[in-house]
Amino acid sequence: MSTTSTINLRVWLKIPDAEAATVKNTLIRRMGFADSLQDVKKERLFSIIVDSGDPEKLARSFARELVNENKESHKVLFDRLSFEEGYVPVKVALHIEDGEAVSTRDRLRNRLGFSNVVEVKKATVWKLYLKGENQEQVAKEIAEGLLINPHKDSYEIMGKTKMPA
Amino acid sequence: MKIAVMQFPGTNCEHETLVAVNAVGMKGEIFRWNRPAAELSGFDGFIVPGGFSYQDRVRAGAIASKEPVMDALREEAERGKPIIGICNGFQILVETGLLPGTGKIDMALAQNVMVSGGRVMRRGYYCDWVNLRHDALPKRCSGSFMIDKKAILQIPIAHGEGNLVTTTPGLVDRLKDEDQVVFRYCDPAGQVVNEFPVNVNGSTESIAGICNPEGNVLGMMPHPERAFFAWQLPAYDPRKARPDDPGPGRMVFESMKRFIEVRA
Repeated sequence: MSTTSTINLRVWLKIPDAEAATVKNTLIRRMGFADSLQDVKKERLFSIIVDSGDPEKLARSFARELVNENKESHKVLFDRLSFEEGYVPVKVALHIEDGEAVSTRDRLRNRLGFSNVVEVKKATVWKLYLKGENQEQVAKEIAEGLLINPHKDSYEIMGKTKMPA
Repeated sequence: MKIAVMQFPGTNCEHETLVAVNAVGMKGEIFRWNRPAAELSGFDGFIVPGGFSYQDRVRAGAIASKEPVMDALREEAERGKPIIGICNGFQILVETGLLPGTGKIDMALAQNVMVSGGRVMRRGYYCDWVNLRHDALPKRCSGSFMIDKKAILQIPIAHGEGNLVTTTPGLVDRLKDEDQVVFRYCDPAGQVVNEFPVNVNGSTESIAGICNPEGNVLGMMPHPERAFFAWQLPAYDPRKARPDDPGPGRMVFESMKRFIEVRA
């Protein structure tokens, strides 16, 4: 009987992230969040479901394929997803089929020989550094006002404590 | 007849669009996004050209849609002035809520998915010459004012996100009922085939362009400015042998001009 594991790869730029800077600038200068928003950072999230193999060894292999260490850093979490204190993490993913996730799965399975890869999910995690009250409500307004188009994206405001992937 | 050709950081079709505007006898001017938005009221019509505004950050058109000039364009649209969004311009108009025209985001232009025989053949960016069928009645829409219903135009596409999707119940039926579906991808005979390569991006019902209920705002994924002159046509098209002839895309700009004349 096989058991599945989820290898979560959080990946972020260690050089300045122009997209996060543009989002911050737009929220502050164009959308009225100057009083509540301090900063915006961004991560890519790969959730790779495997049905066999040593998850730690696989995670190292996946990181070698999916992370460019020259410009990116990463963190691996097994079967759970957690985030640090100090910001509100908003996970944005497609609710229609994600072609990049499908391509990543197919490349891992068919080109790179990881036949134990069952599924790959991709998301962007926007890390909103907010101040003041009602931070979750502000994060919701930001997500719905800029970070998603509801006709193709969905979002989830992640807790700061351990949460299931 | 003054036309503002909008330019955002990352727009890259403004100069060809300007040539097309001027060649049909309108007076085009490139309007940078950071000019005072109030100056837009001095123009008779607007084109939001193609490109990659703000590098498609967050998603295509999302950042540009928040610029003050887009609020001003919304006001100009309410005055009935024509606005044509081409490719990234279409994406910006959707993100602004100017299309399909309910004032909110009612649809998305998602990543291309090319499906044939039930199989995904490819995804993402694609460029090619396509056939477009004009499905609206003449005079229904500013950018196709002079184009006959069922006319077929050969115009190129170049985009990664042109796949019209919506979760709004009944939206596509409403667009069809209200004659807001302006262009559809079709084969050379004018038949709509909901499969790649005729439907080049997986768009719902092969929709390539729509207008708002009033008809003054048009968004289309193909690039009419790249088929404005016959010399721009592909080598296999016999019209290319007569390089000074008008290309099929010219009708979009002629239509805009005529729309403004009639409205005056």
